[in-house]
Amino acid sequence: MSNLETFKYDDKIVRNFAIATAIWGVVGMLVGLLAAFQLVFPALNFSAETAFGRIRPLHTNAVIFAFVGNGIFMGVYYSLQRLLKARMWSDFLSKFNFWGWQSIILLAAISLPLGFTSSHEYAELEWPIDILIAVVWVAFGLNMFGTIIKRRENHLYVAIWFYIATWVTVTVLHIFNNLVIPVSLTQSIPVFAGVQDALIQWWYGHNAVAFFLTTPYLGLMYYFLPKAANRPVYSYKLSIIHFWGLIFIYIWAGPHHLLYTSLPDWAQSLGTAFSIMLIAPSWGGMLNGLLTLRGAWDRVRQDPILKFMVVAISAYGMATLEGPLLSIKSINAISHYTDWTVAHVHVGTLGWNGMLTFGILYWLIPKLYNTKLYSGKMANWHFWIATLGTLFYTIPLYWAGWTQSLMWKQFEPDGLLTYGNFLETVTVIIPMYALRALGGTIYVLGVFLMVYNLWKTAKTGTIENTEVSFPPLKKVKKQKGEHWHRWIERRPIQMLIVATIVVLIGGLVEIFPMILIDKNVPKITNVQPYTPLELEGRDIYISEGCVGCHSQMVRPFRSETERYGDFSKSGEFVYDRPFLWGSKRTGPDLHRVGAKYSHSWHYSHMEDPTSMSPGSIMPAYPWLFTREINTEYTAAKIRVLQTLNTPYPENYADKAVADLEKQAKEIVAALKSQGIEQENLETKQITALIAYLQRLGTDAKPENITK
Amino acid sequence: MNQLNKYLKRTLLLMGGISLLPLAANAKGGSPLMELAFENIFLILAGLVIIAAAATLINMVFNFIELQKLRLNQELGIEKEEVTEAIQIPSWKKIYDKMWNLVPKDKEETIDLGHDYDGIRELDNKLPPWWVGMFYGTIIFAVVYLYIYQWGPNEWSSLQEYNIAMEDAEIQKEKFLANSASVVDENTVVYVDDKDRLLLGEEIFVKSCAACHGVQGQGIVGPNLTDDYWIHGGSIQSIFKTIKYGVPEKGMIAWASQLKPTTMQNVASYIQSLKGTNPPNPKDKEGELYVPEESTPIGSNDAVETEDAKN
Repeated sequence: MSNLETFKYDDKIVRNFAIATAIWGVVGMLVGLLAAFQLVFPALNFSAETAFGRIRPLHTNAVIFAFVGNGIFMGVYYSLQRLLKARMWSDFLSKFNFWGWQSIILLAAISLPLGFTSSHEYAELEWPIDILIAVVWVAFGLNMFGTIIKRRENHLYVAIWFYIATWVTVTVLHIFNNLVIPVSLTQSIPVFAGVQDALIQWWYGHNAVAFFLTTPYLGLMYYFLPKAANRPVYSYKLSIIHFWGLIFIYIWAGPHHLLYTSLPDWAQSLGTAFSIMLIAPSWGGMLNGLLTLRGAWDRVRQDPILKFMVVAISAYGMATLEGPLLSIKSINAISHYTDWTVAHVHVGTLGWNGMLTFGILYWLIPKLYNTKLYSGKMANWHFWIATLGTLFYTIPLYWAGWTQSLMWKQFEPDGLLTYGNFLETVTVIIPMYALRALGGTIYVLGVFLMVYNLWKTAKTGTIENTEVSFPPLKKVKKQKGEHWHRWIERRPIQMLIVATIVVLIGGLVEIFPMILIDKNVPKITNVQPYTPLELEGRDIYISEGCVGCHSQMVRPFRSETERYGDFSKSGEFVYDRPFLWGSKRTGPDLHRVGAKYSHSWHYSHMEDPTSMSPGSIMPAYPWLFTREINTEYTAAKIRVLQTLNTPYPENYADKAVADLEKQAKEIVAALKSQGIEQENLETKQITALIAYLQRLGTDAKPENITK
Repeated sequence: MNQLNKYLKRTLLLMGGISLLPLAANAKGGSPLMELAFENIFLILAGLVIIAAAATLINMVFNFIELQKLRLNQELGIEKEEVTEAIQIPSWKKIYDKMWNLVPKDKEETIDLGHDYDGIRELDNKLPPWWVGMFYGTIIFAVVYLYIYQWGPNEWSSLQEYNIAMEDAEIQKEKFLANSASVVDENTVVYVDDKDRLLLGEEIFVKSCAACHGVQGQGIVGPNLTDDYWIHGGSIQSIFKTIKYGVPEKGMIAWASQLKPTTMQNVASYIQSLKGTNPPNPKDKEGELYVPEESTPIGSNDAVETEDAKN
């Protein structure tokens, strides 16, 4: 066998990603813990940088892109080389991928607490970091395809199909959801406004779950589960149909995040219909996972790795059934904006992503270090702690979600809301929030146990890049009687192209009509662009992360129009860049808050929410009273908005700051008449914020509409 | 280990069953029973899901017990009595097996596709018929759903749903108001002297008003309510009106959507009862001096007797 090629797998890069996964896992979850405790003890909002509104996106970004992201790279770099019998194509790109990704995370960890955010959920990072993400992601793709091209294996295994689909879809999603025009290094204005921005954001947001938390992890499952169980994959046919079904259908389901909003009904219906169709393809993955364990169930009892994987796959099955159910309008009417959604998401993340990552780490680290796991018993303990933590996290939140939603909708026979004060529906679920924080604490303790166990394991072994020998690739032609799908498994480029087409269809069908057909967003003539001061106030609202707890979307329900005012119309958001509809109501909706309270109420409320609403868990915002409004970029913002067809008068940018100062003085005068005085108040951020809040939803009040 | 698969499969099938619940629940019928069912659809659905989840859990527990038994038997060297089972396969079991269409583990090599990826092999099991059925079922559901929502005759667009809900609410409200003796508004409101109702008024005052007016009504951001000077009038009618509609430009919230008319009456009366209490740190007087007219003596409250009794 002289034609054997001997080479080494790059295991050290896998080790690096594994360490990063563990570290960022701990960090991301600790940040989540802080957010959870802040809802119980508002005093934990120490400063602007650590207030809930900025901590929440930090948590979601850290666990999704830092913890799971590094987990993906770890699993892909390990399995790809072995499934293709080839070392990664370029060591430089591998290193670039690793260090590039870690620097993105670091930049996120700095920029998000500083309030630099685009406010698009799970895509909060500002444009310079977005560009870096794109570069690193492309480097990863190049490295992956380079490796695929120089492989020593004719066919691509199902795990790699998932990796390819992940790569191409994330690329497309990332680019389209971050189409912005920069105003400064830390600020930008999105190209799309209002409803269109919302549709694109949730097309992205939903598929961030699909193609960052699901498809790559399914790929990892297809490699690590059969390896750990030492069993053949249950059904090749199922792999094929559930893979193509999943990637085709998933992309359509985004609008189910916008049910009952101002999104046109046809788009909402598509979201619901495709979500229901998603059940079977999703469950295909669960079946292929669980049935691969056929004949290994006796080992599941003893092996903590398999236990983690079984619970992960079960959690995946539960979450992918619950998701479609939540996409049915009558259920969504109850679940949306409540903690039910948060509970649902955490079944997926704590259960599926977390547990699968743990299982893989317990399997992988001893392999990499050529040793045995330091303590199986400890891993077993971790399994039970993680399971308990997940239960303690999710069950109280389900309960909180149901309770709050039912309270929001409860009417008295005389037509009044039973709980007219929103705060009553919050204080009643705070014990649930406390239990959730306890659940989160338990879960994190388990992760600490794992880190210790893996650390000890690594110390007993040494890492060497594995040396292997394989014959070079001898291309095979079509074999008699082979499954038709084998054809494309030999052709990675064709597979990439077909996968791209398949994932693009859904997005194009939904997004293009929304952008191109005017009738999808009926005009309301009274709706005017924001004034410069309101614009700056809006940017403060965005920067403080208010959207994390306050929606701006009154749905057409009696319980909402009674509580908040007339329901929101799509035409009201045409100047909203970005849209700020939000996805969770920890506090009340704010779309109709304009002119509802006095300036002095807002002033006192922002200074100390409990002064106006005793028992409120909203943080105080004392820094808004000392920090100055930044007018350096006001003119630039106006100019960018004008290029996006916002109808400001010609050359308005030149007098924008003067107008801003004039309006600020008016607000300060009004505050004075209400007994509130402060030195230089007209230059403080609170004034701009009040201007924005008082404008919200006032243009299109029924009495102002001329049809 | 067929036994083990059986338990697993049973659990999975049960979970599959849950997915069909929303389909069943979406049928809207004409009979009152069906209407009742439809109106409480969420409760029913939640109940069914919880029952199914509980059944799954119980099933899992029993399966794990069986597994444990099996393992113990194996350790002790006792073979399971699978022979007896093989002779008499109950019909539900046959249907059940058909729904899975699995190749038994001992015949696995007959469906080994010969693929080998880093030691991972792949089997050629057929798609489970129940899964295929579910897939087709959801596709049919989706097509029907899209058709009905987009083109079919229905009242299910968000706007139609809203209008129907508002009409229903209006009818209910009218019905209720027709049956209740009297409704308090700014024209009919009178001071209530009842000790219990003043206490109720105080409770609301402390919770909702004290933030601006002070616990004792001495005034903080909002005006002093214990003196003789009133910005928007000191009569019970004026106070009621100020509470109900608010004075938004000055920071007073409109409470009409949060407090019942009788509750606002209680609060207004409580506020009037604060007159002359001289709390510490009072805010300076604002507005105009209010002198009660002789014709509206404080203390009469005939009009509310009936409703008060009702409450």
